[in-house]
Amino acid sequence: MIRFDKANVTYKGGVSAMKDLDLEIGDGEFVVIVGLSGAGKSTLIRAINGLVPLTSGGLNVNGHDVPNLNAKGRRELRSEVGMIFQGFNLVDRTTVLNNVLMGRLHQVPLWRTLIGKYPEEDIQIAAKALDRVEILDRAYVRATNLSGGQRQRVGIARALAQEPKIVLADEPVASLDPPTSHVVMKYLQQISRDLGITTIVNLHFLDLATAYADRIIGLRDGELVFDGPGSDADEQTFRDIYGRSLTADDTMAKQAAL
Amino acid sequence: MSSMSASPPVQLPSKPRDTFKIVVSTVFVVLFGWSAISVDIKWSRLLEAPADMYRLFKAMYSDIPWDELSRLIGLMWDSIAMAWIGTLIAAVFAIPLSFLAAENLVGRPIAWVTRQVFNVLRAVPEVILALLFVPMFGLSPMAGVLAIGVGSIGSLGKLFYEIIENIDSGPIEATDAVGASRLQRLRWGVIPQVAPELTSFLLYRFEINIRASSVLGVVGAGGIGGVLADTVRFKEYGVAGLALIVVIVGTIVVDTISGAIRHRIVAGRTIDIGEAQKYVVDTGGLS
Repeated sequence: MIRFDKANVTYKGGVSAMKDLDLEIGDGEFVVIVGLSGAGKSTLIRAINGLVPLTSGGLNVNGHDVPNLNAKGRRELRSEVGMIFQGFNLVDRTTVLNNVLMGRLHQVPLWRTLIGKYPEEDIQIAAKALDRVEILDRAYVRATNLSGGQRQRVGIARALAQEPKIVLADEPVASLDPPTSHVVMKYLQQISRDLGITTIVNLHFLDLATAYADRIIGLRDGELVFDGPGSDADEQTFRDIYGRSLTADDTMAKQAAL
Repeated sequence: MSSMSASPPVQLPSKPRDTFKIVVSTVFVVLFGWSAISVDIKWSRLLEAPADMYRLFKAMYSDIPWDELSRLIGLMWDSIAMAWIGTLIAAVFAIPLSFLAAENLVGRPIAWVTRQVFNVLRAVPEVILALLFVPMFGLSPMAGVLAIGVGSIGSLGKLFYEIIENIDSGPIEATDAVGASRLQRLRWGVIPQVAPELTSFLLYRFEINIRASSVLGVVGAGGIGGVLADTVRFKEYGVAGLALIVVIVGTIVVDTISGAIRHRIVAGRTIDIGEAQKYVVDTGGLS
C-alpha cells in the first residue's frame, strides 16, 4: 500500500509541485494520474521511489517510511518498485537482455553484476519478462536497433525483471504513435491484472486514461482535484483538472485524426 | 541594369572599425620580431639549406646498409611494444581516475581535485619523465615504458572524463530506479555507454605514443631512438637513413591498422544491404 500524508514537495526556486497531498493507493490497483505538464504528475511518481525527496509530510510505501530511509533502505525500496520512463532510458549500446538484467542488479551478488556473470535463474527471470512483452526473440539485439514501441516493451521487461510489487510509469506512451500507445497500455494493464502489481501511470491523453484506468487521479498545480473511478470522470471533471474545456489536443484519438 | 541605377541609392551603415583585428595583427607582428631577435636566427643559412640537405640525403641513401635492416626492425618493434605497454599502464590508472573526475558521477570538489592531478601529469613532457626514470631504472626500455605510462595518464584521463560527462543521464536514472548501488550504476549505467569511445581514444593515444617512444630512445630509454641519435652523432649516416625509413614505415603501418580498428569500434558493425537481403531470402528458404 502507498500512503501520502500531508506530503509537500517544493523545488529549489520555490516551485511547489505537491501541496498537502493525502492519498492512499491499495495493492493491485491500476491508477492513472492526469494533469497538465507542471501539475506535479512526475513529482508524485518519483516521490514514491524516492527519486524526489519530500520537503515535508509523510509517505509510506509497502511499509517503507520513505522520507526517513538511508541509502541502503532507499535501494531496497527501489528494488521493489519498477519504473518505466517516457524516453525509455535504455542503454542503447548494450543488448536488450543486458538492459533487462539491470532489473536484477539488487538481487545478484555485487561481484557477479560487475563482471556481468548473472546466475542462470536471473537470466531466466529476465527472459520470462521479455517473453511476457513478446520480444524475447530480440534478446541479443542492441537496444539501439529497436523501434520506439519495442524499446518501451524492453523498458517494461526491465521493470518486470525486478519482480516488483509496484510499477511506476512516467508518461510511458508520450514518445509513441497512437496504435503503439495502445499496445503498451494493454501490456501494462495485463501485467497489473495477471501479477497483481500496483501500477501507477502518468498520462496526458484523457481517452487513454478513461479507457484503461480503474481509478483516475487528477492533479492541478500540485493539488489533488479529482479522485475516482474512470467511469465517474466526465467533461466537468476534466474542466476542473485542465482549467478549461477539452480540445482536440487532449485526446489521442482526435489528435491522431488531425 | 538601367532600372537598378534609376532606383534611389540605398545607404549602407557605416563600416565599423575592427579594433580587435588591428590589435591582434600588431601583437602577432611584434611578437615575431621580438622572438626572432631574441633567439638570433641566422636567416642567411636558409639559403644554404637546400645544398646541405642534398649532401645529407646523399650520405644517407647512396649506400644503404641493408644488413642492418633486421636489427632496426627489431628495435622499431621494441619502440612499438613500449608504446603499447605504456598506453595500457596509463589506461589502468586513467579509467578509474576519470570516473572520479566526472562531475556527473562525483561531487564537484572530488572532480576538481582529480582534475588537478591530471593537469600536473599533463604538464610534464614524456622526455623529461624519461630523463628522471633513466637514472632510476638504467638505460633500458623500462624507463621508456614508465615515462609513456605516467605521461599518458593525464591526457587520457582528461579525454575520458569529458566523454563520461557527455553521456545520456536517462540510463543512470534507470539504474538508480532499480535500486542499484554506486558501483552497479557505474558498471551498467555508465560503462556500456562510454566503452566504445574510451577504447577508441586509447588506440589513438597509442598512435601518439609510438612517436613519443621513438623519441625517448634519444635519451637512452630503449627502442629505435637510441640508434638514431648515436648514428647521427658518429656520422654513420647510412644506418641513420635506414633507421629513419624504418621509423616512418613502421609508424604508418601501425597507424593504419589502429585507425581501421578505431573506425570499426565507433561506427559499429555495418551490414551490407545486399548481404542482408541474401540472409532474408536464405532463412525464407529454410523455413
